[in-house]
Amino acid sequence: MCAIAAPEVFGSDEIGNAKVLITGEIPAALHAKVRRAESNCPERAITIIE
Amino acid sequence: MTDTQKPVKDMTTDYDIFDPEFVKNPYSGYTEIRESQCPIAHTERYEGSWLPTRYEDVVAIAQEFETFTSRQILVMPPVEGRSEGAYAGVAAPPITSDPPDHHWHRRLILPVFSPQSVAKYEQGTRDLCNALIDEFIDKGTADAAADYAQHIPVRVIATMLGVPLEMEPEFTEWVRGVLENMTDKEARIKAFMNIVQFFMGQIEDRKKNPRENDLITELMNAEVEGKKVPIEYVLGVCQLMLVAGIDTTWSAIGSCMWHMAQHPEHRKQLRENPDLWPTAIEELLRVYAPVTMARIVDHDIEFQGCPMKAGDRVLMAFPAANRDPRQFENPDEVILDRENNRHVAFGSGIHRCAGSNLARLEVRVALQTWLDRIPEFELVDQSTVTWVGGQVHGPRKCMVKF
Repeated sequence: MCAIAAPEVFGSDEIGNAKVLITGEIPAALHAKVRRAESNCPERAITIIE
Repeated sequence: MTDTQKPVKDMTTDYDIFDPEFVKNPYSGYTEIRESQCPIAHTERYEGSWLPTRYEDVVAIAQEFETFTSRQILVMPPVEGRSEGAYAGVAAPPITSDPPDHHWHRRLILPVFSPQSVAKYEQGTRDLCNALIDEFIDKGTADAAADYAQHIPVRVIATMLGVPLEMEPEFTEWVRGVLENMTDKEARIKAFMNIVQFFMGQIEDRKKNPRENDLITELMNAEVEGKKVPIEYVLGVCQLMLVAGIDTTWSAIGSCMWHMAQHPEHRKQLRENPDLWPTAIEELLRVYAPVTMARIVDHDIEFQGCPMKAGDRVLMAFPAANRDPRQFENPDEVILDRENNRHVAFGSGIHRCAGSNLARLEVRVALQTWLDRIPEFELVDQSTVTWVGGQVHGPRKCMVKF
């Protein structure tokens, strides 16, 4: 789900588990997409630290 | 009288997942239970089960795998004399596995279903959908369930497994035998044994003639901690892929087709805004989640005030959870660009569907290809649409005209 909502930020590793692709601060242009990824994650696995 | 013939007295104490009206439209029944004093219903039918209907409860049960085990995962009890595990001692890893084995059972198959891996089936799926449409496009009418949806996942899975595509009718019949008409115990056993025997034959053949780029051969050669995996594992994974990968996705595609036939505004919305596809697919999966899975209670426990006993069956009604107004605004409405959608069509926790990326791809490609070729269509007659329910919910006959 996160990779669908914010493909710039989330992808998957070789076994298909989700992983974060970028380090550090999320660029402002992607904030909305990342919020959407967070609010659509069925496992509540995403935490946004502000 | 059998359990299926007695009229239902009260949904919260006597629900019948195979009641013909409930099979056709389970959502009003789920709502009745969810909004009652007893949002976790109970029935004595089919040897008894619990039915949680609120999102929060369904997710909690899915997450607590130590209390709610996966010893059995079908909504009906196994046929007598075969009470532990799945039938005939053949389990279906990883879906019937509990930790610690669950970890490697699942890890070995995850790479097969990663988004990168399933992407290679997209073009083949599109070609298949186009070939199916070629068969009926000139007739101006088709059965969107039986002429279209039904043929897509079975061929994708058969391709993945490297088994003969021309056996499609047998695969379909066997899977229906296991997951549909579940009240016919003899038919279930027969269908299951057919699947097991078929894959035992496929495995024997590969022992003599290993194949290149072949999933079954790769599974047979897979090693965990330096040791080859047991052949029962390979057999279990193969039968799981067939049983779990066909009826489920075909039901989802069928329900989406049934929806699209009645909603020209949604067809238009997708035509004008193709960027909407990913969220639209999630929304359709939320509203038409096809699968209900079961868990077996490990030890006596009071869960949300319900006195559950060791061995009790709990039905995780994902379709009910996905329409809980506590979690989703206007839950019965299809909102293709829905902002917040933590749906559980694929379950939740350690048993979350391993094939979800493949299922999403198949549903999207099936809908896109149809809407490209047949942009305008409608149901011939709502009253002739037939449904199955229980373990898997979806249309089986759905005539449309165009």
